[in-house]
Amino acid sequence: MDSQNIDILIKDEYAFFLRERDNWSLTAGPQDLELVAHALRVLLHARTTPDFLDDYRALVACQNVDGGWSPFSSDTESTVWVSAFCGLMLIRGNRFLRHTQLTQAVRQAIDYFLDTQHQDGRWVDPAWADLDTTSHPVSFFNVVMALGETHRQQEVRHAWQQGMRFIIANQSPDGGWYDEEFHPSGVEITAHLIQDALVADLVIDQEVRGVRTACAKGAARLCDWQAQAGSWDEKNVDHTMDCTRSLMLVTHILQDPHKRETVLRGFSWILDNKNDHGWGDFPGMETNLERTCDGIDTLLKYQAYSNSDTHDVVKLWGYLP
Amino acid sequence: MPSPSLLKNAWQAACQVDELPPGERKLVILNGVEIALFNIDGAVFAINNRCPHRKGPLIRGYTDSEGGIKCPMHGWRFDLRTGQSRRPAQATTYRTKIEGSMISLALA
Repeated sequence: MDSQNIDILIKDEYAFFLRERDNWSLTAGPQDLELVAHALRVLLHARTTPDFLDDYRALVACQNVDGGWSPFSSDTESTVWVSAFCGLMLIRGNRFLRHTQLTQAVRQAIDYFLDTQHQDGRWVDPAWADLDTTSHPVSFFNVVMALGETHRQQEVRHAWQQGMRFIIANQSPDGGWYDEEFHPSGVEITAHLIQDALVADLVIDQEVRGVRTACAKGAARLCDWQAQAGSWDEKNVDHTMDCTRSLMLVTHILQDPHKRETVLRGFSWILDNKNDHGWGDFPGMETNLERTCDGIDTLLKYQAYSNSDTHDVVKLWGYLP
Repeated sequence: MPSPSLLKNAWQAACQVDELPPGERKLVILNGVEIALFNIDGAVFAINNRCPHRKGPLIRGYTDSEGGIKCPMHGWRFDLRTGQSRRPAQATTYRTKIEGSMISLALA
């Protein structure tokens, strides 16, 4: 599919996403905050964030007193995974909104992550693998540092380094990361860790030893795992979108053009397996909004990735202003 | 006509026995609920198809030798007999019975 047709597809899918607004917007009532964060990422990458200030203010309104968020907006017990996703969308969105209430909420989120890190550098969330969970606060801190946020700066840097080291120390010799209970195949977790956590260091300040090698080995492992037709994890749409986006970013930063074919195969498979509107979790399944947000995000990132003369794709992770 | 609550408590035919041989799985929809059926060494298990975590399809999950099913999306594991999990939510399971050539489920 050429660039012009991808543009048309993005417009069509974005229009569908907006028609579904009552099902993802906090302005319409309580929501699943992971879905909300997915939706805010679409707005961010579609460059429409300034039109949705009320959604951001609503996200601040459901922040818990400890600075975190709950999986569901009307609950009050914070968990790490969703808190990191919400904090990340707030700090990235506030680049465009410049709202003092949001700035304060971001600082409270920083407090939350500094308070909840374990001694060995990990963060824990009962719903997710520890390694996967850890990648999300690290990702949030990547952007905190990239954007020059100064709140508790030294502590943030220390916590971030500890998180990075925990991730690197747990890489398998074959290049993948695994969790016997949550991710025995290693696919999704490897895709997450290299894109959301490690590779940012190569953009921000190249401070943590071993990051380049860890990313290169992780990316190579992802390529090995891809099915001939382009998918990952037995035609898992979510994991295929994760791997495709991860390889776009990581191979761009590593300047490794040889993996372009893997990215293109993944992207084509994603296009071939979309529904009339949106995507489901597996081919043939009904559309769900979270996967559709991932799909739109993948289309937008592919556009940026295709423009290999720029670092636009890196900006879509927030690692460059 | 029976009330909906009575219907809900009744045994309901799910599929023919020969549609679910040992080692196989099958998705059925009863009362609008997706239910994943598994035949593990001749024993039939039924569990709500949607993982309580992020609604992943358990019919595509990975079974293990201890009677568990692991969601293909994020790895939550459930006991196929009880629906219990070490994660923050458990899955709904259904009693099954085989009568003649038919597998039936109790949806209550």
